[in-house]
Amino acid sequence: MKKFSHLLIKEIKELINKQLVISLVFILVIFNFIGNVTRTEIKKAMAKQKIAVLDQDQSEISRNIIGALNMANFIIEEKTGEKENVVQEIRNSNLDLLVVIPQGFGQLASSFQPAEVETYSFLRGVSIAGRSKSEVVKALLNSTNEYLSNQYLKKKIPDADPKLLKAPIKNREFVVVRDRQAEGSSGLVIGSLTAQGFILPIILLYIVIWSTQMVITAIAMEKQNKTLETLLTVPISRGSIVAAKMLSAGLVGLLAAGIYMVGFRNFFSISNIDVSNALGGATPILKQLGLTINTQGYILFGVSLFLTILFALALATILGVLAEDYRTAQSLTMPIVFLVLVPYFISLFADINTMSLPAKILVLAIPFSHPFFAMQNIMFGHMNMLWLGIAYNFLFVAVMLWWTTRIFATDRVLTMKLKWRKKKVVL
Amino acid sequence: MAPVLEVEGLKKKYGSLEALKGVSFKVEEGEIFGLIGPNGAGKTTTLRIISTLLTPTDGRVTFLGFDLKKNPEKFREKISYLPEEAGAYRNMKGIDYLEFMAKFYAADDSEAKKYVERAVAISGLGERLKDKAGTYSKGMTRKLLLARALMTKPALAILDEPTSGLDVINSLEVREMIKGFTKEGVSVLLSSHNMLEVEFLSDRVALIDRGLILDSGTPQALKEKYQASNLEIVFRRAVQ
Repeated sequence: MKKFSHLLIKEIKELINKQLVISLVFILVIFNFIGNVTRTEIKKAMAKQKIAVLDQDQSEISRNIIGALNMANFIIEEKTGEKENVVQEIRNSNLDLLVVIPQGFGQLASSFQPAEVETYSFLRGVSIAGRSKSEVVKALLNSTNEYLSNQYLKKKIPDADPKLLKAPIKNREFVVVRDRQAEGSSGLVIGSLTAQGFILPIILLYIVIWSTQMVITAIAMEKQNKTLETLLTVPISRGSIVAAKMLSAGLVGLLAAGIYMVGFRNFFSISNIDVSNALGGATPILKQLGLTINTQGYILFGVSLFLTILFALALATILGVLAEDYRTAQSLTMPIVFLVLVPYFISLFADINTMSLPAKILVLAIPFSHPFFAMQNIMFGHMNMLWLGIAYNFLFVAVMLWWTTRIFATDRVLTMKLKWRKKKVVL
Repeated sequence: MAPVLEVEGLKKKYGSLEALKGVSFKVEEGEIFGLIGPNGAGKTTTLRIISTLLTPTDGRVTFLGFDLKKNPEKFREKISYLPEEAGAYRNMKGIDYLEFMAKFYAADDSEAKKYVERAVAISGLGERLKDKAGTYSKGMTRKLLLARALMTKPALAILDEPTSGLDVINSLEVREMIKGFTKEGVSVLLSSHNMLEVEFLSDRVALIDRGLILDSGTPQALKEKYQASNLEIVFRRAVQ
């Protein structure tokens, strides 16, 4: 055990090198930078913003619209004069939205005739603040339209409720999941689940990719630095060498994925995605429907994830043995990345349960797929699918670990090579 | 006295290629035994089998009474192997590398410290041991690795081409290091295609070619037997 921990510490130290630290710090800085820029833009969009209004009508209705714009967090800079001149003036200023209420607007609107308001957006780039201004103005005009049409209907049919006239059928939506039901829209439930399921696959993706990259690199570096032969002759079991490589890679991979997540968190926190909620919290409707994960669910998910990471590490160890140097090792991570990306994208954009049988079999044949769908299976009670996935991965892990240990216990650790030329043996 | 190492009828096949066709020799306690032969003769394969890196196809290797197939871990505890193309961890300081390796052999920290102190003395690298191994020249790396191989006073040090790729000065220093160490009871099994080097270092030598031992004995006895002035001529005549 002492020798194992001694080797494990060395492996971890080797993996946490200057390049890794720099790349992780860089990632944190980049995510923070993007986060800060976006946060500033959103703040700008939410702060009081200046828009120009040219009220050529000066009617009661036009003044009401300007008043509503004022209430909607805008600072109104009222313009006078000819429209063309005002447009020219704003083109040379830093204002980027002009609302023109033409003469006769009030009269047309009050007599329920088609009336127009013109909005001019001055594009000087693509910013959140610029986009939100025109959206708010559009929403205001929609409310004004709603108000005017209600007035019209009240005048024509005084005894009727305008809202009822415009939407006589009401829809009460219910969502049913197994034996539970709750009032709400299926869109809301799916939206909440998608928001929750958004983070988990990313975490999975990064843990698997980082860990496999670490272990492949660790073994390839032993070969490149010509230290593997010496290590294999020191008095420590081959199993311990494999375990130390895999465990260190798993731990450093987990650390790297964690740092990635901190970076993501900074980014997501400004994108209105609550990470803590996304990692397990639930909206009331999800609770009512039982679409939440209990302790047993988390344990099962953990088992599925653990088996997948073990499988990835064992596979990466074998690929690492095949690699002769660091460069080959990097290219050997590609098949693993591809196999992880397939279930990742499917979990984001498709429902595995509604896929055709051959496609479903193909996806589930990839051991990496199972933890990606585990949460969904737990929430929707597809426990058979979950257990089958765990059993399938357990089998794969057992075979891969046996194979990895065999490779390290025999000549193959030195003779296995990935090369396209004829095999050459050193005598 | 029983030999430290006994190799009998050692065979090794890589697919259809027969690398060793029945190699037999013995290494006595405290002696330097040299395996000499050209590239591809089977020297490295023999040393790799004895150092537990490769498994033999057939034959028997006994070390201090332990059978290689049954007790490879006993071999690893008592031998020290220096591969021909070996390196140290580039990001590790020389001194840290020695400490790292020493801890695998030592029973406790004080023993590991003794091993490191011995290695520091053997290597002669002085202050440079505080630098990272990645900054070392080939000669310095070889000295570091040789110090690593000898610091534990192994029952058998297996050295594959110990001076491979070194310049004249470094080769001389490494040879002196090896020669000096057998005085402390360490047996050495070394291989080289440099027959003059082996003649200088070895108490006894075996001539190996195409996976077979052609002859063995003390350098003097072999020179007399083949009426040659050096081992290079001995080898040429033995092959003929």
